Amino acid sequence: MLAISVMNGLVMGVIYALAALGVSLVVGIMNVINFAHGELYILAGYFSFLFASVLGLPVAPAMALAVALVFLFGLLIERLLIRPTYGNDMYSLILTFILSIVLQNAFLLIFGPYPNKPPLWVRGASDIFGLFSYGNQRLAALLSGAVLIAAVFLLIQKTWFGRIVRATSQDRGMAEWNGVNTTRLNMLSFGLGCALAAAAGVILSPVFPVTPTAGVPIALTAFVVVVLGGMGSLWGCVVGGLLLGLVENLGAAFVSSGYKNVFGFIILILVLLIRPAGLFGRAKL
Amino acid sequence: MISSSKWIGPAVLAGMCLLPLPLGIYPQHVLIVSLFYVMMAASWNLLAGYTGQVSFGHAAMAGIGAYTSGILAAKAGVNPWVGVAAGTLLAALLGLGLGALCLKMGGIYLSLTTLAFSQILHIIIVNEYEVTRGTMGLQVPGLTAEYSKLTYYYILLAATVLVLFILYRMIHSNLGLSFRAVQNDETAARAVGVRVLHLRVLAFTVASAMAGFAGGLYGHYLLLITPEIPSLDLQFYVLAMTVIGGMGSFVGPIVGAFAINILAEKIRDYGEYHVLVFGLIALVVARFAPEGLTGVWRSLGRRRTP
Amino acid sequence: MLLEGRKISKRFGGVQALSEVDFHVEAGSITALIGPNGAGKTTLFNIVAGAIKPSSGQTVFEGREITGLPADEICRRGIARTFQIVRPFATMTCLENVLVAAVNRHPRRPRAALEPGARDLLAQVGLADLAGQEARHLNVVQKKLLELARALATEPRLLLLDEVLGGLNTQEILQAVEQIRRLRDRAGITILWIEHVMGAIMQAADRVIVLDQGRVLTAAPPREVVSDPRVIRAYLGE
Repeated sequence: MLAISVMNGLVMGVIYALAALGVSLVVGIMNVINFAHGELYILAGYFSFLFASVLGLPVAPAMALAVALVFLFGLLIERLLIRPTYGNDMYSLILTFILSIVLQNAFLLIFGPYPNKPPLWVRGASDIFGLFSYGNQRLAALLSGAVLIAAVFLLIQKTWFGRIVRATSQDRGMAEWNGVNTTRLNMLSFGLGCALAAAAGVILSPVFPVTPTAGVPIALTAFVVVVLGGMGSLWGCVVGGLLLGLVENLGAAFVSSGYKNVFGFIILILVLLIRPAGLFGRAKL
Repeated sequence: MISSSKWIGPAVLAGMCLLPLPLGIYPQHVLIVSLFYVMMAASWNLLAGYTGQVSFGHAAMAGIGAYTSGILAAKAGVNPWVGVAAGTLLAALLGLGLGALCLKMGGIYLSLTTLAFSQILHIIIVNEYEVTRGTMGLQVPGLTAEYSKLTYYYILLAATVLVLFILYRMIHSNLGLSFRAVQNDETAARAVGVRVLHLRVLAFTVASAMAGFAGGLYGHYLLLITPEIPSLDLQFYVLAMTVIGGMGSFVGPIVGAFAINILAEKIRDYGEYHVLVFGLIALVVARFAPEGLTGVWRSLGRRRTP
Repeated sequence: MLLEGRKISKRFGGVQALSEVDFHVEAGSITALIGPNGAGKTTLFNIVAGAIKPSSGQTVFEGREITGLPADEICRRGIARTFQIVRPFATMTCLENVLVAAVNRHPRRPRAALEPGARDLLAQVGLADLAGQEARHLNVVQKKLLELARALATEPRLLLLDEVLGGLNTQEILQAVEQIRRLRDRAGITILWIEHVMGAIMQAADRVIVLDQGRVLTAAPPREVVSDPRVIRAYLGE
């Protein structure tokens, strides 16, 4: 029981970390929170379902296509909704919140309220150290999530794009003086943030099928992770994501399963009370 | 100009008093619901429109008011009016707590925390079935011994007038002057001594209390309290009404609440598209006419008489 | 000594904007703060006014430490400022702009009691006729004057002026300098003043602090400063 909860916690933790990385990247660079983050996660799940289960594409290209489309959709959102309100944080909050409701209702209209599930990548279960058996699909999700997180870290720490991202999230004005084209950077990082939500979506949807409103708890947890880890901190996302995944699943197993998502909220309040800048946060934004 | 604006309030009020008399039960119901939304949107506007804070927990605060009063009345036999007062107080206290906790970290934290708060409240209500009756809904007594739409209409109308009066006084006081300064330029406002944090926490507390008050009354009108009240859909409605009507304008949310609620009833005849439709309208308005319909109206007026 | 800065440093990411700046402002003086672009003048202003926090160091006003206090608290302690790029409350009238400052200085007084004083201040800067006009309709010079009136309505003992003369013509500069002098002579307000218009500083300032690359180069009466070879080098570059 304990071991399985820990494994479930790790799987969810990796997904939370992935989703939170997308949020954190955008917060760090644009000081914008995308409240439609969870709906983009769901959108990718639906795309993946559509391409693989309905159109019969192989699983891998279907997933890649889904992520690519959500990335493009993210660019479009940035161009049409975020950029014109840039500098007015309030409007970007309001606009992305409205967008999340619009998407939820559009999903409901198109796909109905019932869960949809893209095909599994792998079947069966594996024996873990002879202790318990664990679904292969979940293991694959854990593995691919971890690989993707590593890729994001490589991107941010080793590449030219990453250097600009780090410079801009430290000091926007300074980056602009040094000739960084922040308009294009905003667009790219917003798109990348959306693509990370999408990646989380395609990885997890074979395990937890998508419904029109299933993105809300995922996004909320991602937001809590971002606050817990410290706004804009990438390491904070990974540590916070794993922590939250474990707390939720252990809490669900040993305290109450109905209150699974409440543990995140309790953590949020505690962080705000004790260390509002988060685990890895700088003193103040 | 001054004399005409002096008469406009009493004239509208007199009109509102007479309005339901010739109407049937159903239009009266629509008006009562509209009044609930006027209170919600006008108080949310104090946050978003006047102090630049986006709360996603306004519907949750209405839920706090409704469930506090409803549970007290249904389980402990407390007088509904006392219950409404208790619900208002609890919402105010929660507003004060959440506001003090988040606002020193900046507005984004308030948006995140209130969104989380509304989800958590939803989960608690669904899980604590024994107390709240979950999604089935909690049956609660009415505010008066005899149930009449007309009585409720006048009660809600009086409540709405009270809420609007308090908001109007706040906005036109010294406090309101500082609100507008913060809205214009937070840095400059701080530089002339405006206590921005105090101001925001105060506005959040007052607005939360108003939502709790409106929710309490609304619950006793519906007689059945469900998690629909503290839902994101209702939150969205309040937000859309304010945005479409005109954020930061006193009349905007009032116009928006009536227009959208009445329009929603019409659209509902064609199916469950109304949330999607209003979402798209709100998206376009927020993007292209951030001052809302009243803003468009004002600028049209300016163009005619430069 | 009215204001004192002790070893103030500020880093932005990888850039050292100020390093261990020591300075002071005598009560009743007009002290100018000059230096080439990027010397850290506005950063120093923002630290004194509480708009940003220093990485290290202290600011002391009237003998009490004010380092890291929020801007509104510093304003209540008696320091007012104007902004290099004007920031009036655009959708409020000129009178309301000044009243915001006045009602926050005297929170218990009703607005009606504060209005005559606010109108007086507008008259002092020559904006009496525009009292009912929304600030966004003013031109830049008028906006600067409005900001000055607004700062004065907080009843400061120290006034921080950030390039108030930019965009003014010669005639207007003379008037403005005269006005700033009057503030000191009649109202007894000490002035710390960032300025690029050297002529005005020569006329009005008692003492000049020169910043260069985040350090204090020298602090002396204006005559000495203009003939200081280090200052000339800093301005002309190597």
